[in-house]
Amino acid sequence: MADVVTVPQVQPVQPALRFLRVIPGVLLLGAIGYAGKLLEQNVGAYAKAHHWTFPNIEYVLWAIVLGLAISNTVGVPEIFRSGVATYEFWLKAGIVLLGARFLLGDILKLGGVSLVLVAIEIVGSLAFMTFLGRLFKLKPKLTTLLAVGSAVCGVSAIIATKGAIEADDEDSSFSIAAILALGALALFTFPVIGHFLHLSDRAYGLWAGLGVDNTAEATAAGALYSDAAGKLAVLVKSTRNAMIGFVVLAYAIYWASKGQAQAVGNKAAFLWQKFPKFVLGFLLISVLATYHFFNKDQVGALANLSRWAFLLTFAGVGLRTNFRDMRKQGLRPFAVGAIGEVAIAVFTLGLVIGAEKIFGF
Amino acid sequence: MGAERKAENNESRWKLSLDSWAVVVALLAALLIRAGVFKHIPW
Repeated sequence: MADVVTVPQVQPVQPALRFLRVIPGVLLLGAIGYAGKLLEQNVGAYAKAHHWTFPNIEYVLWAIVLGLAISNTVGVPEIFRSGVATYEFWLKAGIVLLGARFLLGDILKLGGVSLVLVAIEIVGSLAFMTFLGRLFKLKPKLTTLLAVGSAVCGVSAIIATKGAIEADDEDSSFSIAAILALGALALFTFPVIGHFLHLSDRAYGLWAGLGVDNTAEATAAGALYSDAAGKLAVLVKSTRNAMIGFVVLAYAIYWASKGQAQAVGNKAAFLWQKFPKFVLGFLLISVLATYHFFNKDQVGALANLSRWAFLLTFAGVGLRTNFRDMRKQGLRPFAVGAIGEVAIAVFTLGLVIGAEKIFGF
Repeated sequence: MGAERKAENNESRWKLSLDSWAVVVALLAALLIRAGVFKHIPW
């Protein structure tokens, strides 16, 4: 009889247990988001009652600031972490539900314009970040990750590319930290610049969708300006996200040709695997809304549900941003990211202003 | 061992990504609203 070898096994976490683990964090997201909503309603009313001049601060900003304050002072205790990490899930569910507020005609019209701008932005950003990476003598794969993160869709693009080009863990955490830190800065600077330049909701929404890298931050930066700008920022950012598969595929082929990554077998399967499925969900809900599958009240209910999902997302954006952790990642990748992001922000602003003049929106 | 890996691969093939779960949950919520289970979502 053969010897029985006992191999220690890691027990898979049961789905029920996994579900229970996320509850505290989701409740924390809900509590912070709701506190943000209450602050928006009450601070404004209090200031008005006492004749103070106080700007109307949206729940979006309150939720982010409260999250940032917790994350950077007492920190997020372990028990809440799994649940806080679900903010990406709420973001994507919220975007799918937001589809109810877009008619297909709007998507085709704005999507067409944004598709052209997105294509220009991606090519320009990839070229510029690659140039900067070479100038600052960063490792080539780190440069690729930073370029993809700034050109396409932040953290998701970096994670997708890391696997495809077999980059180091260290390179990807550098890039993720740089993109997140710059996303946090964009969150506060974009609305100020937008107001300073008196950008229309449409122009600002386009700019936020093109210029802010991470989907959560782009959604928040848009919503901080106005509801209409927030809607458009999500549409443009989703168009950018839809390009992720093509860009990652191109880099995978490039690195494979240099013998530094595995060759891509089935390209169609690769594209489908990398394609963000929430973009399809968003389009499906929009088609259903266009063909009156939902009545007016139901569209209103879907829009409100989307707002609740975003409320959890914005709280999560604040909670997962820890400036101390970001500082640990080193200065050079951050400097390349910062110079690149400023250049991309200026470049995309120019694109938007140009498109506004040409297409007259 | 080979059979275990095959079973693992089969299992992971059926696992949904976070993206897909978000779509499934959002579509389910939309259908429940359409069916009138949730008539009003306050904000």
